[in-house]
Amino acid sequence: MTPVRPLLFAFGLVALLLCCGGASAADVAAGKATAEGCAGCHGADGISQMPLVPSLAGEPDYFIQWQLVFFRGGSRKNEVMGPIAEALSDEEIRNLGAYYASLPPPKPQPAPTSDALAQAGAELAAKHRCQVCHGNDYSGSGPTARLAGQREDVLLKALRDFKSGARVGSGVSSMADVVYGLSDDDMRALAHYMATRP
Amino acid sequence: MSLGAKLKIGPAMIVAATAAVGVAGMLLAGAAQADKLIRYDANSKNFWLHPPGDWYMGGETEELKGTDFAKTLPPPTGFTRAEVEARLKNIKLPPGFKIEIYASGVRSAREMALGDKGTLFAGSFTGGIVSAVVDEGGKKVVKTILKGLRMPTGLAFRDGALYVADIDKIYKYANAEDNLDHMPAPTVVYDDMPPYTTHGWKYLAFDKNGWLYVAFGPPCNICLPPTSTAQVRHINPANGLAELVAIGIRNSVGGDVDPRTDQYWFSENGRDWLGSDIPSDKLNHIARMGEDFGFPYCHGGDIPDPDLAMGHKCSEFTPPVFKLGAHMAPLGMKFYTGDQFPADYKDSIIIAEHGSWNRHQYQGGRLVRITVDPDGKNAKQEVFASGWIGPNNKYLGRPSDVLVAKDGSLLVADDYNSAIYRISYSK
Repeated sequence: MTPVRPLLFAFGLVALLLCCGGASAADVAAGKATAEGCAGCHGADGISQMPLVPSLAGEPDYFIQWQLVFFRGGSRKNEVMGPIAEALSDEEIRNLGAYYASLPPPKPQPAPTSDALAQAGAELAAKHRCQVCHGNDYSGSGPTARLAGQREDVLLKALRDFKSGARVGSGVSSMADVVYGLSDDDMRALAHYMATRP
Repeated sequence: MSLGAKLKIGPAMIVAATAAVGVAGMLLAGAAQADKLIRYDANSKNFWLHPPGDWYMGGETEELKGTDFAKTLPPPTGFTRAEVEARLKNIKLPPGFKIEIYASGVRSAREMALGDKGTLFAGSFTGGIVSAVVDEGGKKVVKTILKGLRMPTGLAFRDGALYVADIDKIYKYANAEDNLDHMPAPTVVYDDMPPYTTHGWKYLAFDKNGWLYVAFGPPCNICLPPTSTAQVRHINPANGLAELVAIGIRNSVGGDVDPRTDQYWFSENGRDWLGSDIPSDKLNHIARMGEDFGFPYCHGGDIPDPDLAMGHKCSEFTPPVFKLGAHMAPLGMKFYTGDQFPADYKDSIIIAEHGSWNRHQYQGGRLVRITVDPDGKNAKQEVFASGWIGPNNKYLGRPSDVLVAKDGSLLVADDYNSAIYRISYSK
C-alpha cells in the first residue's frame, strides 16, 4: 500500500483555503461573463460535450485557478489553452475559479449494472488512496481536482500525461509518484471508475 | 501498517516520519490517518526520481505533527496591490528607513538580477516563469519574459546577458534587455547537473571573474545524498568548466561573493523534523577549497544526525559563521555595497528569511543584517526589517531575496505577495 499523501504536492502547488486568508473577494457574475468565451468547448454551464475537453462545473476554485496559472506560465502546455490563459489577468482568473466552483457538477457517466472495469478501478483507488487528496466522494478540494463525473477520456489522458511527464504542474506534481507504478490498464480502470462516480 | 512494503526501511537508516496528515487530515473528514506519522526511505534513486508529492513530510514527529509546507503557500494568483500595500503597514524598520512597493504582480518572485539598463529580472518558485520589471514613463511595468520553465528560481546578469538556472541546466540569454518582448533562444552554458527536482531549484552568484557559484541541494529532507548533490560548485559559463568547492551542504538558495575578498558566503537551510528549535539554519563562509559543512552527518554545527551521523562528530566539519536559528529559512542574501544606508551597513550581509513551515509558531519572515569580519570572526546579528508574520501566526508576506539597487536602496523580493519592495534611507 501507499503511504498517505497529504494534499498538495510538491512545491508549489497548493494553496489551501484554510491557510491563506486575505485573497480578494472574487466576483462570480464577472466570472460568468468571462466564461462565455469558454462555453464553446467546455460546454454551457461548464459541462463538456467535446472529446478530451474537461467539464469544469463543480471543480474546486483553487484547482481552476492553479491550472490557469500553469497554462499562463507555460508550465502546463496546451496549444489552445496557453494563448487563452495568457490573456487573463489575475482578477479574471480568480473570478473564473469562483464561477466554475459555483456550478453544479456534471452527472456521472452511465455505467452497466455489472461493471468489472469500475470494480477494478474502485480497488485501485482504494489501494492508491486517491481519497486522501481528492476527497471521500472524489469532489476535489483546494488545489486538487474533482474526479467524480469527469469525462472518462479526460481522466485517462490526465493520468497518461502525469505518467509520461507531459503534465507536471510546477516542479513536480504529487501525481507523478502516484501514477509511476500504474499500467495503462490500471489507468483505464481508474478513469472509468471516476467517470461513473456520482 | 502500510509503510513496510513501500519503504523497505532498513534497520539503521531511516527516515522517520512524523505526524500525520497535516492538511489532508484537516480538510478531508474521514481520511482517518491523523494518528500515523509519515515515513519515507529517502536513500534511493527511485525516491529521488519519483518523489512523493509530500516528500518534505518524510520524517514527521509527534512534536511537529500538523505542520505542512503546503499550508504556507499563497493563493494561486497571489494578492492585489491594495492588499500588499495594506500589509506593508505592518513592517518595522530602523529609524530613517522606509519601505514601499517597487512592483506588484511579480509572480512568485525569487532571485532578482539587475540589468545594465535598469531592468529588474525576477525568477519564480511556482508557475515556471521569469519576470522583468521595466520603467515606462515613471511607471513600473511587469512583463513575463520567459515561460514554460520548471523552477527558474535562480538568475544572474552579466555583460548584457541574463543567466537562468532551471533544475538541470543553466541558460544564457544574450542581449536580454533589448529583447524583453521576444527573448532570444538560450544557449545552454552548463548542464552537468542532476535531474532531481526536489531541492533542485537554484540560486546564482557571479564572482568578479565571471564564474558562478551554484549550490546543488540534496533530493530529500535527510538522506545519504547522491554524489552530485549537497555541494557548492564554481562554474565558468564561458566554457562549461566547473570545480567542486565545498561539500556537506543541505538546501542553499542564497549566497554572495564578499566584495572585500571575492570569497563565497551562503545561507543554508537546516533539516526538518528534528524539533521546533533545532537545528539552527546557518550562514557559512568558504575560506578554502574543499570544506565540508557536515550534511548529512551534523546539523546546525552542533547536532549529530540521530540516524545518519554514523560515528561522525560535528567537530570534523566547518562550523557556521553564524547560527541564524531554527526554521528561519534563510534564502537570498547580499553584501550591502551601496552608499545610501548609514556607513556601518557597508559590507554587512542582509539575509532574506522566508520563514518557517515546519514549526507550529512560525518565525523568520524578516530581513536580518550580519556584520562580520572578512575571515568570519566577530559575527553579530540585528533584525533589519520584520513584520511579515502577523498576529495569529499568519504570513503577511515572505521575503525571498534582496538586491542592492544602483542608488543604494535595497530591493526585496516576496514570493508570497508576488511583489518587489524598495527599502530606502534618508537622514
